[in-house]
Amino acid sequence: MPFATAQTVSLHGAVGHLIDVQSDVSPGQPGLTMVGRPDATLNEARDRCRMAIINSRLTWPTTKRITILLSPADLLKSGTHFDLAIAMSVLAADGGVPKPTLAGTAFIGELTLDGNLRSVAGVLPMVLAAAERGVRRVFVPEPQAREAAMVPDMEVFGMRSLGQVVAELRGDEVPEAPPVAPMSGARLLSWRGEERLEETDMSDLLGLADVRYAVEVAAAGCHHLLLSGPKGAGKTSIAERIPGILPDLSRSESLELTAIHSLAGVLDPGQGMVVRPPYSAPHHDASKASLIGGGRGQVRPGEVSRAHGGVLFLDEFPLFRSDVIEALRQPLESGDVTIARQEESVTLPARGMVVLACNPCPCGRYSANPGANGCGCRSPQLRDYRNKVTGPVADRVDIVRNLVPLGPADRGDRFTVPESSTAIRERVAAARSRQAERFAEESWGLNGHAPGPVLRERWPLPEPAQRLLDDEVYSGRLSRRGATRVHRLAWTVADLRRLNGPGVEEVAVALRLRTGDPLLIGMLERAS
Amino acid sequence: MTASSSTPDADRLARVALARITEPGHVRLLDLVSDSGAETVHAGLLEHPDVGPRLAAVEPERELAAAARSGLRFVVPGDDEWPPVLDDLRTAEPVQERGGVPIGLWVRGPVRLDEVGGSLAVVGARNASTYGTDLAADLAATVGQAGRAIVSGAAFGIDFAAHRGAVAVGVPTVAVLACGADRAYPVAHEQLISHIASEGAVVSETVPGGAPMRVRFLSRNRIIAALSAGTVVVEAALRSGALNTANWAGRLNRTVMGMPGPVTSAHSAGVHQLIRTGAATLVTSGEEALELLGASGEHVLDLPRGKDRPRDGLSHLQRQVLDAVPVARGAPTVSVAHVAGLPAEEVHATLLALEIRGMVEMTDDGWRLAALAHD
Repeated sequence: MPFATAQTVSLHGAVGHLIDVQSDVSPGQPGLTMVGRPDATLNEARDRCRMAIINSRLTWPTTKRITILLSPADLLKSGTHFDLAIAMSVLAADGGVPKPTLAGTAFIGELTLDGNLRSVAGVLPMVLAAAERGVRRVFVPEPQAREAAMVPDMEVFGMRSLGQVVAELRGDEVPEAPPVAPMSGARLLSWRGEERLEETDMSDLLGLADVRYAVEVAAAGCHHLLLSGPKGAGKTSIAERIPGILPDLSRSESLELTAIHSLAGVLDPGQGMVVRPPYSAPHHDASKASLIGGGRGQVRPGEVSRAHGGVLFLDEFPLFRSDVIEALRQPLESGDVTIARQEESVTLPARGMVVLACNPCPCGRYSANPGANGCGCRSPQLRDYRNKVTGPVADRVDIVRNLVPLGPADRGDRFTVPESSTAIRERVAAARSRQAERFAEESWGLNGHAPGPVLRERWPLPEPAQRLLDDEVYSGRLSRRGATRVHRLAWTVADLRRLNGPGVEEVAVALRLRTGDPLLIGMLERAS
Repeated sequence: MTASSSTPDADRLARVALARITEPGHVRLLDLVSDSGAETVHAGLLEHPDVGPRLAAVEPERELAAAARSGLRFVVPGDDEWPPVLDDLRTAEPVQERGGVPIGLWVRGPVRLDEVGGSLAVVGARNASTYGTDLAADLAATVGQAGRAIVSGAAFGIDFAAHRGAVAVGVPTVAVLACGADRAYPVAHEQLISHIASEGAVVSETVPGGAPMRVRFLSRNRIIAALSAGTVVVEAALRSGALNTANWAGRLNRTVMGMPGPVTSAHSAGVHQLIRTGAATLVTSGEEALELLGASGEHVLDLPRGKDRPRDGLSHLQRQVLDAVPVARGAPTVSVAHVAGLPAEEVHATLLALEIRGMVEMTDDGWRLAALAHD
């Protein structure tokens, strides 16, 4: 029977579908038909595959009628990584390779006209999906073999050319081939940032006792944070040090994040799995698609997803476009992001800690001290700016802190040795493991992700603490939503203090964190 | 340092002995000592059936020698180092039955008490907010840099922040303790207190080894107020001990100042009460405290005011005409005059004057506001 099947994976967001590429090579009017909803890039595969096979000195059935079906046929398919599977199924159907060797194997890779392979984005999530559907063997472009090998119990072949794949399957000697070029468009812009961040430490920062504690709470419970203060007060310095106080990602988070980075085409396979929490700081000119995700063809994860498990820092967030800010509401609340397009709706994880920063006014030179006030903003500008600061996104933030520039006393401080990130990270990790224990049976693991109703029902506050919270709500100083946030925060404060649950004192700390009031020094001393 | 290093005189020994058997701030005894002299009171008390034997048992020479071994000196009235400002306590009304000029002060550290005149006391809540501690530290640093020592009580919160601010900019700071000057209380501040002992001065009216009893804090507060030219209260709730210090500063005719917090904050309610009743002057920065502490004309600050605007220097007539000039499309003089309700010649002359100032410009259609006048 002139018919063969090779398997590959089609990605829709982070969800992969195992695709059967079936080829039929029969006598008839010569030609090639490809069915099963390929898009434009995939349709070009027919030319790439034909030339790749011919130039690899293999046989292309020129005189026969070739029909290729991408099954399931109702799924829209896109991408260039189908090339290898198409070529293999055609070759197998025509007798070029033994059909049984294709069983239980997935083929991922783009072909060039000379028969060499090229890297493609999203290999890790594809292999993950394939593994879930019982595939035990994959062929991928050589530079991506390590990425594919992150999936347990998978036999990975990193190949340079079509000729090598065929030889491997036939059991022949594998021919030489030029090395595969790494991914085009690998991160050119962020390389400096990544290295720079590794050199920063919380011990670099003087003063800021209040904010340091707030950041520790935020990190321990994954609470979103708003830092407000004039230029030079240290907002960015604090934000870029938060990943350093977060513990390593859990196994599942790490896999999710690595898959996201693979989808985004920014995974450096030499680095292996991403285990450190990421840091992402898009500029306020960023488009909605770059922040939330989207793009044409394959969905590219946005910055919110690339910060999954880490920190998404939006400096000067009132300057972001309104639609971009609005689009942040879902990830802030639910920890994932849904990108709806004509054909499909794709949901990606986006459970990072969001850190927003803003100035007291658009020009950033405002000071409450008349002598130091250099603000030249006009009142309509000020009004717009403040409306954004107090808008729905800021309402979904748990902790608000107001920063002031360092005073003369902080620079020469002899008695406060700033703690290192490592010391803080240990406390954060301890608090997180208390939460993991408490939420062992739940679908979430951190206080910041606990749904309000469940929290109130199963982990309520003791009577006097609840009364303190209710008083704030009845007096109108706190909204209901705010009260839920204080409830979550109070649990994190208790976890950091190694208590079995929050009491009045923990709620008092949480209230101050939420409302932006300065903390009392007695509250800070109990932190460590 | 004249007498204490050589043979102690009889007055000093009498004072050491009296200090050992009395509580700090014992008004009647201190007044007696001030009026009749320490030796007379000492001799009289030896006759007393209860106190006499206890007083006789004290060995003042040994006390002084032991104190010297711990780096303490005993500064008494009449010494070169005795700060005359402390004598103000003699006439001040007692507070809660405490008062009077101390019999002597135990001092540890290189800074001489007679050199800290004109210093500023910074006091406030123990459980202060970070807002308050930041303010206190910066206040201490600013005032310190202007050459004034910072006095406080080495307690948690505002006290600690004030000392920290002074140390940060390397200016002398004095910690007045309620326990003996050889001890460190609170224990958590041992590092701070030993630093002050090596670069500033740790002072106490309580005898060496004395414990930090509650009542001793009240008498300690009067020393803080008396040693300094002014007292700033930063964050104090309604029953804060810092208000006691402020009360003393007021009685001693020192400058009393308060740094406000948010009106909703219970932690600043005491400060607000001081300001509201006129007991304290509101200050928002170290510069403002310096202005109040200084002699007349020293450290005078410019009145804070908003930014100058181009329209500021205009006469009433000019403003009136300017208000009638359209923003976008120009209008002829007559129409401006009509809107302003003024005679055309007067408006014409005014518009020419405004044009020179760059406030209006002539277009094909007539007068309109220049960019400068948009503000």
